[in-house]
Amino acid sequence: MRTRLQVPLPSRAPRGFSVVGLLVFVAVVAALAIFPQFVKKPYVLHMGVLLFLAVIQGQAWNVVGGYAGQYSVGHAAYFGVGAYVTMMLLEVNKIAPWWGVWAAMAAAVLLSLVIGSITFRLRGPYFVLASISVAEIIRLATLYFKDFTRGAEGFLLGEIPTMNLFGEEILFIGKRPFYFVGLGLAVVAVAVNWVVQHSKLGYYFQAIREDQDAAHSLGINLSFYKNVALSISAAFTALAGGFYAMFVKFIDPNTVFGLDVSVQIVLLCIIGGIGTIVGPVIGAVVLVPLSEILRNPKGLVQVGVLSADSGFVTFVERYLSNAHLLVYGILVVLVILFAPEGVLGVIRRAAARWGRRPQDVPPTAAAKA
Amino acid sequence: MIVFLQSVLSGLLVGGVYALIGIGLTLIFGVMRVTNFAHGELLMLGMYLAWLAFTGLHLDPFLSIVLVAPAMFLWGAFLQKSFVNRVLGALPQNQILLTIGLGLIMSNTVMLIFTSDYRILTTTYSSSSYKLAGLSISQPLLYAFLITVAITGALYWFLLKTDTGQAIRATAQDRDAAQLMGINVRRMSVLAFGIGSALAGTAGALISPTYYIFPQVGSTFTLKAFVIVVLGGMGSVVGATLGGIIIGVAESLSAVYIASGLKELVTFVLFLALLLFKPAGLLGKTRA
Repeated sequence: MRTRLQVPLPSRAPRGFSVVGLLVFVAVVAALAIFPQFVKKPYVLHMGVLLFLAVIQGQAWNVVGGYAGQYSVGHAAYFGVGAYVTMMLLEVNKIAPWWGVWAAMAAAVLLSLVIGSITFRLRGPYFVLASISVAEIIRLATLYFKDFTRGAEGFLLGEIPTMNLFGEEILFIGKRPFYFVGLGLAVVAVAVNWVVQHSKLGYYFQAIREDQDAAHSLGINLSFYKNVALSISAAFTALAGGFYAMFVKFIDPNTVFGLDVSVQIVLLCIIGGIGTIVGPVIGAVVLVPLSEILRNPKGLVQVGVLSADSGFVTFVERYLSNAHLLVYGILVVLVILFAPEGVLGVIRRAAARWGRRPQDVPPTAAAKA
Repeated sequence: MIVFLQSVLSGLLVGGVYALIGIGLTLIFGVMRVTNFAHGELLMLGMYLAWLAFTGLHLDPFLSIVLVAPAMFLWGAFLQKSFVNRVLGALPQNQILLTIGLGLIMSNTVMLIFTSDYRILTTTYSSSSYKLAGLSISQPLLYAFLITVAITGALYWFLLKTDTGQAIRATAQDRDAAQLMGINVRRMSVLAFGIGSALAGTAGALISPTYYIFPQVGSTFTLKAFVIVVLGGMGSVVGATLGGIIIGVAESLSAVYIASGLKELVTFVLFLALLLFKPAGLLGKTRA
């Protein structure tokens, strides 16, 4: 019998196909899909879109950071390229974003191959520093080459053309259409992550994460598979970038290429729990509402949770709205110190403790009684 | 020729301050093998402390370092004891993320207190300069440079000649061996982080008359500090001194001869090239 190359299973080996998991997933997606029928408040839908955006970003980073263990802190490069290519194709060449975003994703993949071939030779802090500096180089270049990129002035979106989907005309006005597009893209991102996790590719990635040298000695081509992971990640990050540009309707080098963007993406995954599908989703669910409420507490008034003259709103607006990243800082410090597996790890541990309790009584003790 | 000399000179003056930032970072890395991504934020705190001393106590920013340095030493020691010390054995990624988190907390807290407005600290000599053989030397930068030289000299003396300094260097060289020789490595770590933080804070106070002061100013300096330290070789104090000067001059030259908007870009390109072709740095031996 021909023996096949065995890759050591990582500590958190993904289980096979789970019917319960799929059912939960379908139920959640269905609930989110009918949600706008009942809640029509723009602020809530806005929050939903930001949540989906964060899920796409998180899932994308998770492929290279979570599974392959390469902590890139330069994902703003792909996010920004996605945003700029989509935006510029629309504004300059009048190409609709649903076509333009493919070009954006292709551009990000090409860029990732260049960046990967440079940075993947480095490890640990050196890799992190290299990934940051590549993103910074792109940000500074975008600021400098004004003739092509309009520099610090950025791009303001005129209007998105009407989409014709199976004879139905879709107008991108208001939050609603973006909510559904965001949901769809987030579902795709989650599905891709699931496929990666359960394919041979995923096992290779995780082998690299657990021990690069061991993986190498087992015949895994390190730079090839790291580059594959990064390209998948870059493509979806660019998708998120293009979606962001269309939703927010304004981009400039500092908001899409800034170090903050990269850091936010990483922290989202770390706080949620990396190397799992649910982790980045949890990270998004925890962080997006928190930082959004801090950034714009007036929304809570609009939704009706708080009254307009509430002291909370004035307090937050006055003191906290500039510092919405504070939540990220505090949570990541807490997570690193007390729960390195993220919020998901905490939930799992709590669930395990709660679920195990009845069986915890040793049978001998029961027999004696 | 005069343009060339002028830009080398101003690069040199700025480079002195860069060296101070780099030495702090390299000391922390050398002793603890922790890459401190909050280093720029420590510098930012130093800037704000100097600004507070200037507006509140009417204290000259160059004199205020006698307050800023000890305050930042205590703050750094506190950060080490309560946070960084807990992740010394953890994965390098987790150490980096912890310090990124601490940096975010610092910059956002400062933003809460002082808002994100740009502050300017204007002294009577902020825009004056000395003329020497056709070259102009900015007064605040010259003072900053001279103080930097004095501090660096004192630090070299401390590290080379005193018992504590030698203990710090021994810990950096081989933590386990140092511990076996009876050195209290935990104390040395606290000390190193305190000194690193004090140096960053002092550098912040020294550049406060010439830079805008705002909460997010730190991240630029964090990156710059890493470029400096990697250039000289992670952990090497002499390397960081040299690296600071080189980066200062390189920035100044590329601002004049390439484009001022591209000076930082040039630095990062050099940095990437260095990481690829000589990752141990100019004076480093190991890749940690």
